[in-house]
Amino acid sequence: MFVKFLFIASSLLTIVSALSMLMTKDIMHACIFLLGALMGVAGLFLTLGADFLAATQVMVYIGGVVVLMLFAVMLTGGNELNKRGLNPVPLMGNKFTFALGVFGASMFFIVVYQLLYKIFHYFHLSVVDSYESTVEKIGRLLLTDHILAFEISSVLLLGALVGAAIIARPKRN
Amino acid sequence: MMMGLTSYLLISLFLMICGIIIMIARKNIIAILLGIELILNASALNFVAYSKFVAKNFDGQIFTLFIIVVAAAEAAVGLAITIRHFQISESIHIDDATQLLA
Amino acid sequence: MEYTIGTIAPIILFPLVAFVINAFCGRKLPRQGDWISCIAIFLSFLWCARIFCDFYYNQYSSDFYIHKVFNWIDLSWGTGPSKASGFKVDMGIFIDNVAAIMLLMVSGVASLIHLFSTFYMKGDPKYGKFFVYLSLFSAAMLGLVLSDNLLSVFIFWEIMGFCSYSLIGFYHEKNAAGDASLKAFMTTRVGDVCFLLGILAIWSIVGNVNFVDIYQALHQGSFTTLSIFNITISAASFAGLMIFLGTIGKSAQFPLQVWLPDAMMGPTPCSALIHAATMVAAGVYLSLRMYPLMEAGDLTTLIAFVGAITAFGAATIALVQTDIKAVLAFSTISQLGYMVMGIGVGAYSASFMHLITHAIFKACLFLSAGSVIHSLHDHHTHGHVQEMPRMGGLKKKLPFTFFAMTCCTLAIAGVPFFSGFVSKDRILGDALYWGSKHGTYHWIVPLLGFSAAFLTAFYMFRMMYLTFYGTPRDQAVYDSCHQEKLSFNRNIPLLILSVFTLGIFFSGSLTGQQKVKLPIVKFEWFETLVQKPQLFKFSSFKKENFGLKDTREIKALIPSVYGHNQTLSEQEAHETHHAHFLGAIISIILAFSGILLAFLMYLRKSLDPSNWVNFFPRWTKALKERYYFDYLYQEILIKKVLLRLNYYLAKFDLDVFDRIAIDGWQNVSRCLYRAHRVFDEYFIDRLAVDGSGKSIRLFNMFLRYAQTGKVQIYFLIFLVVLISYLFKLKI
Repeated sequence: MFVKFLFIASSLLTIVSALSMLMTKDIMHACIFLLGALMGVAGLFLTLGADFLAATQVMVYIGGVVVLMLFAVMLTGGNELNKRGLNPVPLMGNKFTFALGVFGASMFFIVVYQLLYKIFHYFHLSVVDSYESTVEKIGRLLLTDHILAFEISSVLLLGALVGAAIIARPKRN
Repeated sequence: MMMGLTSYLLISLFLMICGIIIMIARKNIIAILLGIELILNASALNFVAYSKFVAKNFDGQIFTLFIIVVAAAEAAVGLAITIRHFQISESIHIDDATQLLA
Repeated sequence: MEYTIGTIAPIILFPLVAFVINAFCGRKLPRQGDWISCIAIFLSFLWCARIFCDFYYNQYSSDFYIHKVFNWIDLSWGTGPSKASGFKVDMGIFIDNVAAIMLLMVSGVASLIHLFSTFYMKGDPKYGKFFVYLSLFSAAMLGLVLSDNLLSVFIFWEIMGFCSYSLIGFYHEKNAAGDASLKAFMTTRVGDVCFLLGILAIWSIVGNVNFVDIYQALHQGSFTTLSIFNITISAASFAGLMIFLGTIGKSAQFPLQVWLPDAMMGPTPCSALIHAATMVAAGVYLSLRMYPLMEAGDLTTLIAFVGAITAFGAATIALVQTDIKAVLAFSTISQLGYMVMGIGVGAYSASFMHLITHAIFKACLFLSAGSVIHSLHDHHTHGHVQEMPRMGGLKKKLPFTFFAMTCCTLAIAGVPFFSGFVSKDRILGDALYWGSKHGTYHWIVPLLGFSAAFLTAFYMFRMMYLTFYGTPRDQAVYDSCHQEKLSFNRNIPLLILSVFTLGIFFSGSLTGQQKVKLPIVKFEWFETLVQKPQLFKFSSFKKENFGLKDTREIKALIPSVYGHNQTLSEQEAHETHHAHFLGAIISIILAFSGILLAFLMYLRKSLDPSNWVNFFPRWTKALKERYYFDYLYQEILIKKVLLRLNYYLAKFDLDVFDRIAIDGWQNVSRCLYRAHRVFDEYFIDRLAVDGSGKSIRLFNMFLRYAQTGKVQIYFLIFLVVLISYLFKLKI
């Protein structure tokens, strides 16, 4: 029961946040709506029994990425118009760009539909699993089957850290 | 009743479409990065759903962990680039970032 | 003897070479080259005599002939048995008894006339030119006699027409001479066109125009019907009629006789050769050759009537002529009418005999007239006198000419023992038999024939009396005449010709009836050698090649049987005999009565010709106007009809045809030009040439938007490519 409620709430949250992200004109609001969407996805993870993943999602994405976006918005002046005023297209897009976007998305949708239309008719019943903790299992898998990916991702993170630091450093004149 | 594979796939498809639209429609670089995040999340949801309903093991969840890792790294670097570009050209409009030699 | 190129071709080649030499270098040669012409024609005569002797002494039957061909135009293609037949014309020679005799006559008379011309034309500024034309003419006439197909006959026919034109208009400084030459040419042209149509008709039926092939086709009955513009007519009668029209034109028969009297504007030797002996005889020769065709086409009645009308009409006109050459001209037309009448009534050999004898005595008559004219000088015009009212009493001054002219006049009048009687009497006898056989209106033909015989005797002796007898009417003219001495080139031709006017050379019997036979002469060679062509005998000899070797298959020939007419049945032969006997008697009576009448009228002066003139005033006027034929042709036909038609045709051509059909194309081409220019400008220049540049620019304009540098556009393109892979478009 709880799971069902959680599922409905999370999906509603996700969908509404994504739609709102689409339609808002304000970049700050978009970041907040992203936060909402990510929350919803975390909830969906919970319904799927991926508790560790949900926690990781909340901590890394919401706690890290969204905050980072917010910092960037504040650092770059967000909603202000272009200082040179040369570009005719507004920052959050006008109808033409949205039309292009819808066109591109429809392309994608057609592709996916062609590939997956059978699956949409194939309706898995929900598996009433016993929700058990996945932390130990994932931890074990990480360090035995997927150890290479684990190590490489740590190197990747190191690289990203160093790279970001160097890129964003102001030039010494 | 409604919690089948199909519904998770539909949600992820919806998130993906929204992400694509945001990516194409918005002109703010940071807004585009937000769209990228949405896309990544959609694919992550897809992975987990499949791992739960079809494969019934945890490989999808592990891959989702890595998605999250990569997404975070990429967001950091992307934002660093954005800030650097802002420091140079005083603009975060993506149409100002069309020249290779700025 | 052998019949090869070496024995036959020189007959034509000698005069032809003489023509070429005289034409190109005549003026530089001594005596302007007349000796070349004379020697050439004399050599030709020797060759012809050789052929004649071969035919005469071997007594070949009338169905023997020499036929040799060589290929002239061959447009067939392919080789071997499947050779496709294109256009093939063979030329060759065809010599039978008729041709052999004709060759001898033509070359003999021509050589004598060449000799006479050296006397007559002496002192003329265009002396050499005369011999040029004479040689060409002789070559053409000999070629015509030798030719074996109608096409070469036509070629030589036309060459002779050209020579006649040149010679009649020899003194072209006089307008009348130029007009007369043109008239002669045009009138014979009318006949020639019909002749050509006949040749074409025959060609379309038989396949070629060889005499032998025509005879074979006639024998097999291939001449059935022709259909021209969906009108079917009998082929034989059409072809025969057309060829006979050619004869009418060339031999000056009614209605195309108008050119011969005017042709007397030419020099007298030319009149002797062309308009008495040879060219006008060519028409009759053609009819003789094509006689089977005319028989098959049932044209003989028409031919007989035409000949009879011509004979009588010309004889009547000759009664009132005062120019000595005009009398001879009309007498020529009249005698040609006799020949044509002879063909019509079926007297083949008699007609041909009359052709030969007429040639000889008419040539002699013309030459003696020339001798007379040459000796009389007119002090006022410094020319020669031709009018008989100014002559008279020349018997003492021109004895040799008088002798020759007397012989020939006796011959032409039909006095027995002379050649003219033999031939003319046979024609009249056959005409009588023909008239009696066919009955009713066919009697007109012998009636006209006998009347013309009477008139001939009358006017010929009138001419003799007016010229040679009596007192001279113009003393100045008489005094200007020099006494004739016997000179080589003046009198020898006349004497030789007058020798041959005797009848014994042509027939063994004096009256031509096998009644009175001379002991020294053995056989009737002419009548036996020359007979109507028997068609079924013409397939017996194959065509041989005309080359340097004689390739004949000389079979044993049936010699002709003498004194026996081979084609008639017993009863017919009996009736013919009766008719001939009757005709002989009538013609003797008529000849002597004609001579008597002329004697009374002009010598004794007991009858006055002006009585007759007052009795028939309108007829006399018609005779003087030559039955208004000239008036008919010139005033009415040409001026009123043809010129008017010509004017309207020209107007139509210029106004309608040129304007619409020719200038109208201007508009068409202008429209085409405009359309083409539009096409060129818009389609080619703008669309294709500029358009290719513009399309690249257009393409570039679209392609440019893909290279914006905008990331979002790249992403969009990525998605579009994705879907294109889905739809299996491999971009």
